[in-house]
Amino acid sequence: MKTLIVIPAFNEAINLARLLPDLVATVSYDVVIINDASTDDTARVVKAHDVDCFTLPIQLGAWGATQTGIRYAAKAGYSEVITMDADGQHLPVELNALMQVYRNTNANVVIGTFPSRLSRLKKLAWKFFKMLTHIKIEDLTSGFRLYDKQAIEVLSSKQASMLDYQDVGVLLLLLRAGLTINEVPVKMEDRNDGKSRVFSSWLVVLKYMVQTTTLCVANIGKRPTQ
Amino acid sequence: MTNLTILIIGSILSISILYLVRKGKMHGPYATWWLLVALSAIVLSIFPQIIDWVAARLGITYPPTLLLVLSVSMILIRMLTMDMALTRKERKIRRLTQKMAILEAAINQPETTNEKPADSVEPIQKSQIG
Repeated sequence: MKTLIVIPAFNEAINLARLLPDLVATVSYDVVIINDASTDDTARVVKAHDVDCFTLPIQLGAWGATQTGIRYAAKAGYSEVITMDADGQHLPVELNALMQVYRNTNANVVIGTFPSRLSRLKKLAWKFFKMLTHIKIEDLTSGFRLYDKQAIEVLSSKQASMLDYQDVGVLLLLLRAGLTINEVPVKMEDRNDGKSRVFSSWLVVLKYMVQTTTLCVANIGKRPTQ
Repeated sequence: MTNLTILIIGSILSISILYLVRKGKMHGPYATWWLLVALSAIVLSIFPQIIDWVAARLGITYPPTLLLVLSVSMILIRMLTMDMALTRKERKIRRLTQKMAILEAAINQPETTNEKPADSVEPIQKSQIG
């Protein structure tokens, strides 16, 4: 029963310097930072804290980086993967909440959610996507998730490599594989620094909405293979 | 006159394709596709009646329509397959990038952990000689 914590990071040197000491002190799981071709000191900061760091030679985005960690976990034989953001939004203390729900239920995936952080606009977008896909999950984009061995296998597949965000596409893939997803409300900190990667500018939002809508529409009627 | 123009275009196209293949700048399926395009241009410029004949068979009153519809659909199909190929390439690049990051970390790790045992072995050997 080995657990790996995967943290994708793009130019997060300052935030990681704050997060890593706390994380290492709180839990005894293995930690790996996926450095998504950062241009700052991310790799050096991570090494200074004696934490494993994988550096991507080409920038792949948040999901591409996360999948690197998941593929590594599959290869190294980890039984669970926990993903969290590098910006300090997810608190190391809350890892136990995820673990507890995972142990007490037989969910394959546990998502840590913080519903009240959602803005009105986001809520509207989520409602729209939920209507399209029939996913019954509160927070679609939360990066604070626990995946079990089956989920790790599904998400290291070639098909999962074509996704661009760790959200609806990932959830659809998991549900189609017949896996169960559970949610647990957790406390989240405001972002230490920087903004959401997805909801940063209108053009990016538009691109995200169009791409995700296409993905949802393409998946309509695709029933889970249970 | 138009026929002559198309014949020239077709010939130049096929010569260019053969040149590109010879220089190793285009390979396999792409070269075959473009050679077929060039050959059909040449054939159609020499025997333009083919279009009229086929159009008459299909009940098309204005034969050039057939030519235009066919060529536009061929271009669309080609673009679609190009995007499919690009998607495949993108997936391969992503997975290669991920694998490279994992392997790189694996290569760097044994170096640091193996150094210590190597150091600790050395003094023993020295003492054996002494």
